Amino acid sequence: MGKGQPAYTDEEFVAAIRRDDDRALAQLYRLHFPMISHYVLQNSGTEDEAKDVYQEGVMVFYEKVREGSLELSCQIKTYLYAVCRRLWLKRLTEKTRFGGRLDDHEPYLETGAEADLEVAEERDRQLGTMSQALERIGEPCRSLLEGFYLLDKSMQQLTAEFGYTNADNAKNQKYKCLVRLKKLFFSQYQEHET
Amino acid sequence: MKTEADYYALFDAYRAGTLPDEERAALERRLAADPVLEQRLQEFETLTGTLTAYGRRLALRRKLHAIHADMEAEQAVRLTPLAKVAEEDERHERFASGQAPRPMLRISRTEEKLRAFWQGHRATMMVAASVAIMAVFATLLGLEWWRASQKSSLYGYTVLRREVERIKRTQRSMNRTLNQIEAQPEKVNPGKFSGTGFALTADGYLVTSYHVIQGADSLLIEGRDRQRFRAEPVFTDVAHDLAILQIKDKSFKGFGRLPYSFKRGQSDLGEKVYTLGYPREDLVFNDGSLSARSGFEGDTGFYQISIPVNPGNSGGPLLDDRGNLIGVISGRQMDVQSAAFATKSSYLMRLVDSLSAAGAGQSYNLPRANQLAGTSRPQQIRKLQDYVFVVKVYE
Repeated sequence: MGKGQPAYTDEEFVAAIRRDDDRALAQLYRLHFPMISHYVLQNSGTEDEAKDVYQEGVMVFYEKVREGSLELSCQIKTYLYAVCRRLWLKRLTEKTRFGGRLDDHEPYLETGAEADLEVAEERDRQLGTMSQALERIGEPCRSLLEGFYLLDKSMQQLTAEFGYTNADNAKNQKYKCLVRLKKLFFSQYQEHET
Repeated sequence: MKTEADYYALFDAYRAGTLPDEERAALERRLAADPVLEQRLQEFETLTGTLTAYGRRLALRRKLHAIHADMEAEQAVRLTPLAKVAEEDERHERFASGQAPRPMLRISRTEEKLRAFWQGHRATMMVAASVAIMAVFATLLGLEWWRASQKSSLYGYTVLRREVERIKRTQRSMNRTLNQIEAQPEKVNPGKFSGTGFALTADGYLVTSYHVIQGADSLLIEGRDRQRFRAEPVFTDVAHDLAILQIKDKSFKGFGRLPYSFKRGQSDLGEKVYTLGYPREDLVFNDGSLSARSGFEGDTGFYQISIPVNPGNSGGPLLDDRGNLIGVISGRQMDVQSAAFATKSSYLMRLVDSLSAAGAGQSYNLPRANQLAGTSRPQQIRKLQDYVFVVKVYE
């Protein structure tokens, strides 16, 4: 795979990803995809499902690294395998008609994947709620907030885009939108929680 | 009074660190004093934090998708041999036009559906198939076993003991309907099976077929004059289907002199032979010829005879024209026209001789003189009929 690309060790991978090195991420992704793809295909999954599961797994890993809260007690490979394995088993249980619990015969307790996944799940829920709130907030708030927070546009850019007379107006609009978003977001998030 | 949006502007500036020092100090003081404001700040932070996290997540997802697409494209290039250059060109065009690359394998919609179905129901279908297979085999085996247990003999070979019980039962039910006033159960147990037997010696030994007494608890001998004697098997020979019985009743005084003699040698083909037996409640005569000197499937212990025999004939005597006993009726072949089988008398003789030689019990005083030779058949039968018996078997 690496055509003239440096071969990373696990520590170097972590360090590079923390530095926001996209080449390292790409290489890590390529390095371990065959393993997960093989596992999922072996366990009655499809190529697409393998991709989904693997990307989710990588995301968990990536976010842990970026947060700086990753304590890797094993190889990245093992960690990814454990995470993806749990994810896939969960999906299978949801998919299967019998609804029976799939027994996990090889617990990967030492990787900490189990706990990480719980955190990631909670986070997924939060982000999902946010995505829904953004869906419901309506224009122009949605584009404004997305522009500022998701696409990292500057206030000046947004002022020009949305035709506000000055940046302060845009800012005020943004804060109003935030208040509306807050209401939508927390009402739903709380609903979930209860 | 500040609106919430104003507070958000304040918080934003506070977090960005652009708030002048004294305002920040004032805000911090208010935060410490006012829990509502404190909570409001927390909410603001959760909100913006989640928003940025969401943004990062989307960016990461895009990144991973790009990486994956790259990887797939690379693999496709590597996998595609030179011969498929045209297809590859097409692929490149599609990349150029920004369309997502489609997987190499193209399958029709129906096939896709079938595949999905197979994926989803594979386990169920396999279980169903194995159950079906097992059911089929169980049925076949069960049928075979049942048939084997129904037929006590070889295929096509039917032993001729009579299942009295079955006939009796129908008769009894008929009787019962006829004389409903006298609904009285029959006193006499008719026995489960019956066959024919004949005297071997004057002092109470009889011969019958082994299969007649097979599995018997007790045996009852009944003559033409309805006199009954209790008998016990003395010796059986399964291979030649022979059984020797002895009458144990004290009231038994002996048969008197037997009119026939036993032939030690073999009889010739075409010999006129006849038998007496009890296929029904009365003595029945049948005749025919000796048609082969071997029995079912070439068994040399038996003759094949062309006498129509029926269940109940088993164990009956087979005699030739001169009144020599040449065999014991044993069975018939179902799929051949009037082919009955009889154990050769030479085997019976050999059995008797070996028993005498072994000295078990009394010796066997076989009849030597033949009173039947030269007389007509009705005369022969008149003399014979007192020495042919029904053997009733109780299980």
